[in-house]
Amino acid sequence: MTEAMIETGQLNKSYGGKRGIVDVSLRVEPGDVFGFLGPNGAGKTTTIRILMALLRADSGSARIDGLDCWSDSVAIKRVIGYMPAEPALDGNLTGGQLLEYLGHLRGGVDQAYLRQLVDRFELDPTRKFRQYSSGNKRKVVLIQAFMHRPRVLILDEPTSGLDPLNQQEFRRLVVEARQGGATAFVSSHVLSEVEEMCTRVGIIRDGRVVRIGGIHDVKDIKRSELTILFASTVPLDVFTTLPDVETAESTAGGQGVHLTVKGPPDAAIKAAARYDIVSVTSHEPSLEDIFLRYYGGVADAAADGASEQVA
Amino acid sequence: MLRRTAHPSRSLSNVYLKTLRGYRVAIIGWGYGMSLLVLELVASTSAITQTAAGRASLTQIASQFAWNAAPVAVDTPGGYATFKLGVGILVMAIWPLLAATRTLRGEEESGTLDVLLATPHSRTRIAIQKLAAIGTALLGMALVIGVVTWAGGAFFKGGYGFTDALLFGLNLALICAVFGAVALFVSQFVIERRRAAGWTAGVLLVAIVVDMVHRIWPGTDWISAFSPVYYYNLSKPLVPSYGSSWWAMLVMLAVTLALSGAALALFTRRDIDGMVPLPRRLQPPKLGRAPVALPARDWSLWSVYTRGLRASAWSAFWWTVAIAGFAGWMVFAVKQLGSALSGIDSQSAVSSILNKLGGGDVKLTTTLLSAIFVILPVLLMAFAVTQVNRWSSDEEEGRFELLLATPQPRTRVLLARFAALASASIAIGLATLGVTALAEALTGLPLDGADLVAATLGMIPLGLLIAALGYLGAGWLKTSADTGLLSLLLAAWFLLSFVGPELNWPDAILRLSPFYYYGSPLLHGLQLSVILGLLATAAVALSGSAVRFALKDIGR
Repeated sequence: MTEAMIETGQLNKSYGGKRGIVDVSLRVEPGDVFGFLGPNGAGKTTTIRILMALLRADSGSARIDGLDCWSDSVAIKRVIGYMPAEPALDGNLTGGQLLEYLGHLRGGVDQAYLRQLVDRFELDPTRKFRQYSSGNKRKVVLIQAFMHRPRVLILDEPTSGLDPLNQQEFRRLVVEARQGGATAFVSSHVLSEVEEMCTRVGIIRDGRVVRIGGIHDVKDIKRSELTILFASTVPLDVFTTLPDVETAESTAGGQGVHLTVKGPPDAAIKAAARYDIVSVTSHEPSLEDIFLRYYGGVADAAADGASEQVA
Repeated sequence: MLRRTAHPSRSLSNVYLKTLRGYRVAIIGWGYGMSLLVLELVASTSAITQTAAGRASLTQIASQFAWNAAPVAVDTPGGYATFKLGVGILVMAIWPLLAATRTLRGEEESGTLDVLLATPHSRTRIAIQKLAAIGTALLGMALVIGVVTWAGGAFFKGGYGFTDALLFGLNLALICAVFGAVALFVSQFVIERRRAAGWTAGVLLVAIVVDMVHRIWPGTDWISAFSPVYYYNLSKPLVPSYGSSWWAMLVMLAVTLALSGAALALFTRRDIDGMVPLPRRLQPPKLGRAPVALPARDWSLWSVYTRGLRASAWSAFWWTVAIAGFAGWMVFAVKQLGSALSGIDSQSAVSSILNKLGGGDVKLTTTLLSAIFVILPVLLMAFAVTQVNRWSSDEEEGRFELLLATPQPRTRVLLARFAALASASIAIGLATLGVTALAEALTGLPLDGADLVAATLGMIPLGLLIAALGYLGAGWLKTSADTGLLSLLLAAWFLLSFVGPELNWPDAILRLSPFYYYGSPLLHGLQLSVILGLLATAAVALSGSAVRFALKDIGR
């Protein structure tokens, strides 16, 4: 068994009496892009901040590249690119000055590559940080995470605040980093994003890891919601009899239907296509909705299974 | 199951009460702090004014310090307290200055005003409620000051009544309100809260100096009348024979309302996060510096130390101007008083006071200068407190997160920032030495060179000591608590060393203040063991803070 690039064992952290994370154990292999999924407040940021030695775990172990995250934090940070969820930097410095400052603190970075990143994300480095929009602030933080070509990327909700074009550019950057041999640990609460970018996934809820596996192993939690409006009334049992349809509700006096579909919506769309369709709306429920509506109280039970999978 | 119903707190029912709620500690802290300062003076003076000789001495010495405050009935406790407080009492204006810049501009900076303005209330209504809360807080402080000053005056036979004490508090609240309104007005023309506070502090200093003009050059009242401080000084409620000037109080009220009204009108018309453009003639000249692109090639970006140095440069510059300027000015002022000091009876109570503060023979001008120079370390320590506040708020606002994501050991980050603070303190000390030496050369005042070095550079260990204690406190406390406690500690040390001797407090108590060890270096120099002792204490506190910072959770 190869040595894991990132590994935590029975990691615990509480804030006074409040729950942080409980017995978090996970393993990220070199070259993996590991998606860390969970609803808001689940414990994703706490785990990441322990990996970054910003928080000290109450118990358990956290190692990156074989080194202890707390006692060897300086050595570890030489190989890490970190992007926090809420960037806070000196508002009086320009984006360019901030990148240069953080570059100096890393012992210098390749200026050509840095300029390339700035161009790629179309960041204006001459504006002061406090004058940037939230999206541009994210770009500064994103660029500083990649500018020294780190071997390990720790990214906390990296795409939040970025427009779709820059999200796409970011995903390309992660793929390139992976092709260059980097390992990434990406937290998110958007399932489709993780699905597109990651090779392995861990799901955390209420501070506990409830599931870990390959990206295909967790596809079963994916749901899509379809709202279809027909030109005339359509019987509901057309959809309720389909195997992947979990719920079907009649709307608009029988002329509409709201479906929750597990897995690909192919069968539901084909069934609907037999009738005159006025409109189709589809959206992916948030991970929070998925947990609340489909996982409910079974999360704790799943937590027991998670440790087995890790082991 | 019975479900507990959460009752909304009444203090959160509107903007006014919510804002006022945040000022509770300030009302009590500033109210009691300022009134205790008055009481200390009333108490210490009441003993001296028991005898005719003591009263005569007070009158004699006070006349030499007329530039500070008009000496009116200084042979009474109320009169002497009013005189001795002089412009020093205006330190209270710092609170409305900070509160007024925080309330609109500060909330725009932090983004909290966006949320508030998204509620169905007009900008005017929200702003008025916030300003009303500041006004109420000032009146609350005035009431606390009035009541405590009255109670203390009754106990120490201060010679003034309840109404007089209340008017004293009201007069103080009004001058503070003026500077709060100035801060609010200035906030409409600058984009940063700190800059608004800085400009208003400058206006405050200029107002104090303009007020002094008519006391130095008779017949120049018309110049001083441009300063709001002039109208504050027209009332001396603690001197019943002098009384209060209602029209002067109304002038201050009118200025406050006019400036606040103008600020409100500008606020309701401008962009949030924007500012009112100044007329072209008043706009600062553009430096013609090219925008900073990549690479910036800026020396201040080389390390945490250089960045810390650059971040505190402007602040350090203004503190240098204030401290070195004050020291130089005092050399000139004391030189002018030289002949008058020679007439003071060496057995008088005033002589005794000067000896305790200055540490030497009252007939020497150096003794008086020494007594004045004890304020220098207080000012340097106040500068250190502002820098500790910056360190603590950097952590609280999450600015360490990315810094500590770089391969920089936490201890090095802390020490680098402290080194930047120490460098700024040393620069202030050296500048003060240079300015004082120049003033000495120009005036011909006989000062011992080594003692002058001790008096100016000797304040640096005191600055480092309070900074190290502040860093230590920041390991556990939030920014507001750390800065508040540090300010309180500084005030307590100040009272111990500058009022304690007048009250003949025991030596063991006086030793608790580091000013005790600073002593009177202008007369007696500064022993190396004292400097080393102060530095060692600072080093212990700094080591503790480094250990704490290396082990703690970094969070918001």
